[in-house]
Amino acid sequence: MLLQGKNAVITGCLQGIGGATLENFAKNGSNVWACALTPTDEFEATCKKLAEENNVWIKPIYFDLLNQDQIKAALKQIASEKLPVHILVNIAGMTKDAIFHMISMDQMRLVFEVNFFSQMFLTQYITKLMVRQKEGSVIFISSISALDGSYGQLSYSSSKAALIGATKTLSVELAGKGVRVNAIAPGVIATDMNKVVPEDIIQGHIKQMSIKRLGEANEVSKAILFLASDLSAYITGQIIRVDGGIK
Amino acid sequence: MTTAEQYNQIFCETFQIDESKLTDLTYQSVQLWDSIGHMALIAALEEAFDIMMETDDIIDLSSYEKGKEILSKNYDVVF
Repeated sequence: MLLQGKNAVITGCLQGIGGATLENFAKNGSNVWACALTPTDEFEATCKKLAEENNVWIKPIYFDLLNQDQIKAALKQIASEKLPVHILVNIAGMTKDAIFHMISMDQMRLVFEVNFFSQMFLTQYITKLMVRQKEGSVIFISSISALDGSYGQLSYSSSKAALIGATKTLSVELAGKGVRVNAIAPGVIATDMNKVVPEDIIQGHIKQMSIKRLGEANEVSKAILFLASDLSAYITGQIIRVDGGIK
Repeated sequence: MTTAEQYNQIFCETFQIDESKLTDLTYQSVQLWDSIGHMALIAALEEAFDIMMETDDIIDLSSYEKGKEILSKNYDVVF
């Protein structure tokens, strides 16, 4: 029970890494404000089941990262509960893949809006609460494409690289206030986002890995769990690759 | 304690100044009202008046008087 009694805000809980993180956090005793884009019966049922099975509360919150008013309303809802927020995991993100000369500026701005600016907006609010508590752990989900580059992913990799800069600077600004800030850089993970990638490209990625398979969302969520917990109490400003040793 | 007294006390304690200096007080006019002091001021105001300030308001709060204006206009704090 690494997170017993902690309260976490997790975005992108509907599926993939977000869904796995929600489950892992609940299993480790954390209460969760589970943020997602739209309500579904399945998601509501999952939250209810996880909460009952693990004796925690899970509150679904819905907002569009492209709508600042919706984000604000969600944050006000969280703040109005007057509960400490110990952990923020920014998982929700998007990609619009295209080679550089085929990307419109509007597409690029859209990806940055979701992957970077909306996360900064959310993090500004939540870390204010954390600073008041003098305690907190913020985790961003970057990508190995931000570190290594990735063909056809300029918008995505650039927005994820911006998160690395934010992680480094925020960790410096907030360390003295008891708040740690780290990021995970996942490799090629078997999520819906990667289902659209052609099989030959996936096989090409696997050839480059020391561990010859795609990563699982649950394996990324375990690294998130580590950064959220006191096991990483002396770690801040770090980008941890979870990529099966990709070269 | 009235709201005005509470507001004054936060400024005096955060920036370690006398109440007589409050009226003309502006950002960076005293040593302790730097960017770090500013965030301490915001935290104290948010806690005292049970509010959560918008980033634009945090940036705009550039003086003692402006703070009153922002709090009363945007957060229903009655002075």
